[in-house]
Amino acid sequence: MSVIQLEEVRKSFGGVQAVDGLTFEVKRGEITGFLGANGAGKTTTIKMLLGFVTPDAGRIIVSGTNPSAVSTRRSIGYMPETAWYYPWLKVGELLRFYGGLCGMSRREIDPMASTLIKRVGLSGAENRQLKTFSKGMLQRVGIAQALLHDPEIYILDEPFTGLDPLARIQFRDIMAELKSRGRTILFSSHELSEAELICDNVIIMKSGRAVWNGSTEQVAGDGTRNLERVFLNIIGSDTGMEA
Amino acid sequence: MSLIARQMNVLIRASLLELYRRKDLVVVFILGAVLLMPLAFATPFGFSGAHIYFNEMALLMVWFFSVFITLGVSTRMFPYEFEKRTIYPLLAKPVSRGTVVLGRYLGALSASISALVLFYAAYIILCGVRQHVWFSEVLVQAFVLHVGLLMVITAIGLTGSLLLTISANVTITLLIVFGMLLFGAKLPELADQQSLAGKIALYIAYAVAPHTEFFDLRQRLVHGWPAISWGVCAVVMAYAAAYSTACLFVADLLLRRKKL
Ligand SMILES: Nc1ncnc2c1ncn2[C@@H]1O[C@H](COP(=O)(O)OP(=O)(O)OP(=O)(O)O)[C@@H](O)[C@H]1O
Ligand SMILES: [Mg+2]
Repeated sequence: MSVIQLEEVRKSFGGVQAVDGLTFEVKRGEITGFLGANGAGKTTTIKMLLGFVTPDAGRIIVSGTNPSAVSTRRSIGYMPETAWYYPWLKVGELLRFYGGLCGMSRREIDPMASTLIKRVGLSGAENRQLKTFSKGMLQRVGIAQALLHDPEIYILDEPFTGLDPLARIQFRDIMAELKSRGRTILFSSHELSEAELICDNVIIMKSGRAVWNGSTEQVAGDGTRNLERVFLNIIGSDTGMEA
Repeated sequence: MSLIARQMNVLIRASLLELYRRKDLVVVFILGAVLLMPLAFATPFGFSGAHIYFNEMALLMVWFFSVFITLGVSTRMFPYEFEKRTIYPLLAKPVSRGTVVLGRYLGALSASISALVLFYAAYIILCGVRQHVWFSEVLVQAFVLHVGLLMVITAIGLTGSLLLTISANVTITLLIVFGMLLFGAKLPELADQQSLAGKIALYIAYAVAPHTEFFDLRQRLVHGWPAISWGVCAVVMAYAAAYSTACLFVADLLLRRKKL
């Protein structure tokens, strides 16, 4: 059963066609990597999945409903592209803030928050305001806040950016654990090797369209290919940014 | 606790934490208190109305600093959310934009009121030390109406912040707040001296602009005049609530239309 569905979705900003007839679906319990060059339209698509941006045309269904409904977001854990959180809060306070917005009580938030803080490797930094955090530490905060209310669906915009090798391994473990509990994950990334390791499916976007959509086994083919080759074949040798 | 109550609760707490952890506002705070305190102990110039003069100075400062802090909190909340992109994880949570507007409003208001309490405490100490008057009914009414004023200013500042840049917003709000304070009561009189077009314009301004002059009990306080009726207070507070609600409806509309 698919929990995310897009049909012929379009979105333009002024003269820029950011998403141009995008169609794909994500099945329950699968991890899907969302790849493409800079400016391919990944973030715009993710913003439409969260109801931040309304599509010009096409149909989007998330968790069986319209993404702009407030209740849809109860089942979504989201991690934004740039990890900027309220700099004067401490990580525990930030999680209480977001947990409260999700309708969780302090009794539910506190044990979950301390587990998550440990799990994303932020123990020892609990008493520091976020303005003193490094980029990778803020990225870890982003992971923790997305996991806080234990949602069904995870929509993560470049979650691996800025993470050190150990944190990447830990985050991959977290993703595997979420999958084992039947959670669905869609994440955008430029890290082809990470995507190949963890994904069930990959979608490659170019100029606002899905130009490749298949399982990681299909990527491997007869064993002579890998994701990097497939990506380069599709995107071409043109390494410049997309318009 | 219901979902909306929980959401309000965390939005208010976060605003209070912001006010007290952000250095610039704390500086205004301390500056206000530091400027007020010496007035309590300064020696009079030797003329009979000296205590009235000091009283007036002190109240003017309480007004100035409280308006400043209120604008500092309310006009920056949303621009900051957009600039720092915290608006994305915020709106990704199951919270409606209307709740965010109301929660931010109540948050900014509680932060401003908490500052106001400290300023009034300083003022009470001043009056107590100088005039040995620690409490009066007018003082309570002045405080209540001052809260009403902050309700209106917070609503205007918050709504303006979804439309204008911070500096434009602060400038315009200050002009409206102090312009109405000085000329609000005289507008109908002024209108009657104008040609028809001017008359209509001034009457519209009189109807739409926030009547900050309704909230001003400084003269009564300074001269020790008797308290006003609590019924009038209630009407003025109802006006503050209605005016703020209208502003917040506009703010909700603006936030819904805002490009993310
Ligand atoms: N608010 C906006 N206004 C104007 N153009 C926009 C806006 N948002 C996105 N775009 C344009 O839409 C296109 C797709 O942008 P998007 O952010 O979706 O790309 P992306 O695939 O996430 O890229 P990256 O890998 O660099 O994050 C780009 O050309 C971008 O300039
Ligand atoms: Mg992007």
